[in-house]
Amino acid sequence: MKKEAVIDLGKTRISGNHSIVWGGLEAGVRVTTAYPGAPISELQGTYEQLAGNLRRDNVFSQKVGEALDKAGYQLTAHWGQTTNEPNAVGMALGATICKGDSKEREFLTEEEWNLVWGDTVFGKEDKKRIPVGSRVMTSFKHLGGNTAADALRTAMNVIPYVGGLGIASGDDRQATSSQTQQDNKVLFAMHYRMPVLELHSPVVANRTVRNCYRLFEELGTPFGVIMNYNLAYREVTVDLTLNLDLEANGRQKSFKKDPQFLVTIGPHIRPREAKWLARLLPMIRKKIKENYEFLGSEVVQYGSKPKTMLVVLGPFREDFRMVGHDEALRRRLESKFGDVVAVAGDVVFPQPEELYTELVSKHPIEQILVFEEGYTRVVYLQLLDMVNRLGLNVKVLDRTIPYEPRIYDRFSYIDHILAA
Amino acid sequence: MAATAKPAVQDEVTYMRPVSNCAGCGDTKVSWSVLEGMRRYNRERKLKGKDRYEVVYVADRGCGNLQGWHDYRIVDTIFFMGSGVIIGEGIKESCSDKQVVITASGDGGYNFNLNAIKIAGKNKKWGAINVIYNNFVIRMTGGQIPLETDFDKEGVSLGYEEVIHVNPFHVNDNAELFKNLIDRYLKKQKVMVVADGVCVLDMTRDARAEGVTMGHFAKTAECLDLKFSQEKERMAREEPEKLKDLPRFKCRQCGIGLRCHALLNNDPSICQACGACKQFPCVTDCLAFEGLSFADSISIDQLKTMSKT
Repeated sequence: MKKEAVIDLGKTRISGNHSIVWGGLEAGVRVTTAYPGAPISELQGTYEQLAGNLRRDNVFSQKVGEALDKAGYQLTAHWGQTTNEPNAVGMALGATICKGDSKEREFLTEEEWNLVWGDTVFGKEDKKRIPVGSRVMTSFKHLGGNTAADALRTAMNVIPYVGGLGIASGDDRQATSSQTQQDNKVLFAMHYRMPVLELHSPVVANRTVRNCYRLFEELGTPFGVIMNYNLAYREVTVDLTLNLDLEANGRQKSFKKDPQFLVTIGPHIRPREAKWLARLLPMIRKKIKENYEFLGSEVVQYGSKPKTMLVVLGPFREDFRMVGHDEALRRRLESKFGDVVAVAGDVVFPQPEELYTELVSKHPIEQILVFEEGYTRVVYLQLLDMVNRLGLNVKVLDRTIPYEPRIYDRFSYIDHILAA
Repeated sequence: MAATAKPAVQDEVTYMRPVSNCAGCGDTKVSWSVLEGMRRYNRERKLKGKDRYEVVYVADRGCGNLQGWHDYRIVDTIFFMGSGVIIGEGIKESCSDKQVVITASGDGGYNFNLNAIKIAGKNKKWGAINVIYNNFVIRMTGGQIPLETDFDKEGVSLGYEEVIHVNPFHVNDNAELFKNLIDRYLKKQKVMVVADGVCVLDMTRDARAEGVTMGHFAKTAECLDLKFSQEKERMAREEPEKLKDLPRFKCRQCGIGLRCHALLNNDPSICQACGACKQFPCVTDCLAFEGLSFADSISIDQLKTMSKT
């Protein structure tokens, strides 16, 4: 089988959900599970159409479906069967822990490989290749993060074989079509301690998702991607080019027995959990710093001596991109803050502390303003903790909006930044 | 005054517990039958090396599975409560064609996640062998009044072609059954196996209350010694105080295979009279059973009649 297939499908209108599907397909995702709910239903609905379980009823799934059929892409989608979120995550977990194949190291050093894989059943592998299996995506709306807690908690901290699992959460932060508001950033970051990113634009979300699979699979951890209500549904026109990783899609299947990690009893869990917090999480933080741009994030500087750092996430980041194209906005930014350095990142947790300390030592930064959406202020709290812990002489100011504005509010994220 | 050193903070240590499942626990007898069934399947078809099929034993939380794991490694995965069947469904997506996924849960786990049982029953892509250890709902956790679970009706409506009830202590018959079920699994058929009355403590108590005297195993003198005879002689001369630590039996395969510490320790006083050892293929024919056992019946009424005759 060919290792890669590049298929140009021309200009196509896609939504944020489609963009995540696109990224998953480019990563070679073979199994998808979900429990539907607004705003994320469309994601698994599209996978169902691509897998042939439902009629392909839109241009995206028709074009992409035809291309996948021609490329011999393997895809299984379980939606009708998974009757709730714990079962969706449980099935995804089962499909992920089977590591029947291996691949070359791309991101880990030998020492880091030893840390992640050294005490597993693959620990004696001479060439220190990465054990891999099916790449899997599971999705649910924000409330699913609660009901699937048992499964998600087991997937984190306890099992080293869950690399290759991507979890997409559609956050309805204003309860537009949900019983309650919720910001899943706090669940993923603070409760599960899972690497999590907030996708900021349907135009580039696919790249971030694809690269997350590549990085976090090696690190042996699942990752979460979150999109808010508006971005999940918003449609944009893109040049749709499928760059399919057929090698990942066609990997050998097999279950390797390793009860030391796959039988989750107290004596197995405790040492693993301690190792996760003390050694693995700092290593993941370091790898995120090293691959910050690879994960779709960037640092932009306006002026030579910035005293203010702006941290912009999610929809704030999407609007902030306009500053680069609009001279009037650029002047407003300058008159408000003077020179600035902006950390425009998708990463919510763990924050790459080294990046901030580098920037603070390089520039005369006096204040960090954090712009994120959602009541949990996860990034703000992490940066506040970092500044206090490391004794940095910088103020961290919270400029969060605790909800997702509805479309008829005519809320402008860039105006909120410039008025801060 | 000299400064006192601050004690280092240590993480809590969680120790591995010894095997504590009951000597006659039906759960472990069923798992023996599953693995023996797979061995017979391969042997009958003369499958060797890479052609052999292999069991992936995906278990749910429950005393039999958890305790059964500790010393005998009979299970491959245990995650959260109610997860056995759904994790198994996921594994089927990514395991090899030569791996047969058998899921096992207690009747508590069955009721906890009935959805997953249904998913496995309705999934047309794979076969399913779903073992339920039925101790009539939560007997082990305090004897609450149980819900009525009608596996025969529920199993069929959940998508299983057949619901088979087994006496877990008929280990030989059950091994034959699982051998045939593996064949059906590979033909994408779905079968639920309900191992009834697996709480041997409960059954022993009920039998005693009805005045039924249960029997116990017996071993011939030939079995008692001496794989370690030369070592024993040396120890008797040089280190007699260590003699008590020496294993006492020739092979202990029956105790290891059936996960029975009554057999392992050759202690009939802790024998729960399950009777599984009666059918165990002892290579030197050293095992016997005296009196009534639950392998004769798991119905107390029947045992009562048998004891009178």
